[in-house]
Amino acid sequence: MSKVGVVIAREFLSTVRRRSYLIVTLGMPFFLGTYLALVGLLPAYFMARAGRSQKPVGVVDLARVVRLGPATDREREGAGPGGEAQDILGRLAPASARAKGLTALLEEVDAPVEFVALPAKEEALKRLRAGDLQRVYLVPADYLERGAIEIYRTDSSAFSVSNAHIERALVRLLRRSLSEGRVPPEIRERLDRPIDELASASYLVRADGGVEPLEDAMRIARMAIPGVFAIVLVLSLMTSASYLLQGVVEEKESRVIEVILSSVRPKDLLFGKLIGLGAAGLLQLAVWVSVGSFATSLLAAAAMAILDWKLFLFCLLFFVGGFLMMGSLMTGTGALGSSARESQQFSAIWTVSLVIPPLVTWMLIMDEPNSWMARALGWFPLTGPLTMMIRLGTGKVPLWDVVVALLCLAAGVYVAIRGAAALFRLGLLMYGKRPTLAEIARQLRHA
Amino acid sequence: MPALQFDHLRKAYAATVAVDDVTFEVRPGEVFGLLGPNGAGKTTLIRMLIDIIAPDDGRILLDGRPIAPADRDRIGYLPEERGLYRKEKVIDILIYFGMLKGLARREALVRSRAWLERLGLPEVAGRRADSLSKGMQQKVQIAGTLLSGPEILVMDEPFSGLDPLNTVLVKDLLRESRDAGALVILSTHQMPMVEELCDRVAMIDHGRLVLYGDLEEIRRRFGESAVLVGTSADLRGLPPVASAEPQGRLCRVVLRDGARPSDLMAILQERRIPVEHFEVARMPVEEIFVRTVRARGPAPAPQTVAAPAGMGRRA
Repeated sequence: MSKVGVVIAREFLSTVRRRSYLIVTLGMPFFLGTYLALVGLLPAYFMARAGRSQKPVGVVDLARVVRLGPATDREREGAGPGGEAQDILGRLAPASARAKGLTALLEEVDAPVEFVALPAKEEALKRLRAGDLQRVYLVPADYLERGAIEIYRTDSSAFSVSNAHIERALVRLLRRSLSEGRVPPEIRERLDRPIDELASASYLVRADGGVEPLEDAMRIARMAIPGVFAIVLVLSLMTSASYLLQGVVEEKESRVIEVILSSVRPKDLLFGKLIGLGAAGLLQLAVWVSVGSFATSLLAAAAMAILDWKLFLFCLLFFVGGFLMMGSLMTGTGALGSSARESQQFSAIWTVSLVIPPLVTWMLIMDEPNSWMARALGWFPLTGPLTMMIRLGTGKVPLWDVVVALLCLAAGVYVAIRGAAALFRLGLLMYGKRPTLAEIARQLRHA
Repeated sequence: MPALQFDHLRKAYAATVAVDDVTFEVRPGEVFGLLGPNGAGKTTLIRMLIDIIAPDDGRILLDGRPIAPADRDRIGYLPEERGLYRKEKVIDILIYFGMLKGLARREALVRSRAWLERLGLPEVAGRRADSLSKGMQQKVQIAGTLLSGPEILVMDEPFSGLDPLNTVLVKDLLRESRDAGALVILSTHQMPMVEELCDRVAMIDHGRLVLYGDLEEIRRRFGESAVLVGTSADLRGLPPVASAEPQGRLCRVVLRDGARPSDLMAILQERRIPVEHFEVARMPVEEIFVRTVRARGPAPAPQTVAAPAGMGRRA
């Protein structure tokens, strides 16, 4: 086994065998699950319960247009917010992978509204005051001319989920009532839902005149592949970086580094650590991802990898390049610190330079993926990996542009590893003190 | 049989010159003492040898050619401070060290066990390094240095933390390595060890080579200036005497520069001071060390007893 191989194997195994690694790796999904349940699902659950225990809505129909038949009595909202969410979930994940509980919950938020017809305003308001009704809609006698209705309620909050929910139900009720008996049933169905999104299709007209179907799922996945890669890159850098720095600081403090450096070149040690600990970080991430609800989007991305392998390949290359460059820079600067905390602070500079520019400009990049700014950020090695992932997601970046960005990144990786190895060598042998800027500059010139 | 030559080495840090034009040679099959006060530049010299830092000028030759990264596998290095992964098992650390020197995993395991056995520590293989005493850690570190069978051994303070029994054990190991043809560089402040083990020494002070050559020859030269005298008289104040201190029943007299034992003998006879014993003393290396460091001005010329063969200045 080459020495780099020995270092990789040792760094990987000694990290994944560590108790703290196991606890974090296996405990995090549990913790996050519990956290998400508390933060996200509990309010949803209570909302759903509130929706289910909703009191009926009173309708005083002075215009005599509302038909509260048995079929329309309990209006079912087909395309409410819950419906859309279910729709997207259904597209992204195969039915078997769909979280059953989540679907059930969405159905409950989607609870139907019960309407009760009342003959006169006075009686309706009396029952509203008595708390039998949650609100009263009065449809005046001149409704057909003016389109105005009166709303009576006991609270004054203008915006709420239930507010919009009930109003949509009323609109639906009125539309059905108005069309009943006047419009053929097949048209009534269309009036109700002029566009059936599920049955609709989009087409992409290419510059060469060709036309290809553009499915929503395809569009989502086009963004999903780069999106997943971008998230995994940032997360894996954050997790691996902490292991890298921990390892470097420990070796520095325990003086093992002198023994190691008498056997391995600093460059090989840096590279071995990067790969070994990077693999440990990725493994951790893989565990989290596969356990977490993230799995659905990952599955979609994997499915799309088969459909759009070029996009997948490019993203993978930018991922690997970005990881190597950022990881080596972090380790190189991290080695300069005289304590774990100082090292972490030094290395944070790089995370910021990787993430912040694309984060601030991603809307602009997506709108104009070939603008000079998008191109500059994409070609500059530090911001390139994430920017190129965003640009690739738009599907509008020419191949030569991607190749230039990859070449720039490759050059960046080379320079970063050389420079980091020099800093690493310098930083590792300095105990308890930081090198001066002059020493750093000298060391970098030698690299 | 490796031979190692340090040829006009120079290394400067931002403010200080750590190693300044140092030239000496280490021969195969010898224990070579690398001496010098703290901060003299010994560690920098060693780090240049194991290629952790690059010299600003000069070069290190192994078997007549410049030392290369691949030569790392031929060098075993014991650092001054313990360098073990605190939270890992001793056997895992040793296997890792062995594999980094190019041993296969199985071979590294077999040799690690054998060395732990040899050093009397077979039971610690499965224990964590931080559960061991300082002396045990030191022995584990020594095992890690020796297990790849290096041709060049660089031992920085190998006896620190060892009890007398273990000190004897490690001394035997160093002699064995030397007898097997290895080149052993011993850097230590324990001068009795230098006297016992070293054939030749180099002494560095403020980055410069101030003393270099065969230990016996150096001692003979310095030894001329000390005399053990058996007398009840107070010898302080006599013209050739620099200092006089009791040593057992005798009085140890250190002579002034330029004075010879015969000068003291003449004075004693002249003044009729009764003398029961008169012996030219072998000067302890410690004394040589202290004198050399104290006597040195800011930039003296190195006192070379035996110039290394074939190591003239490069044109």
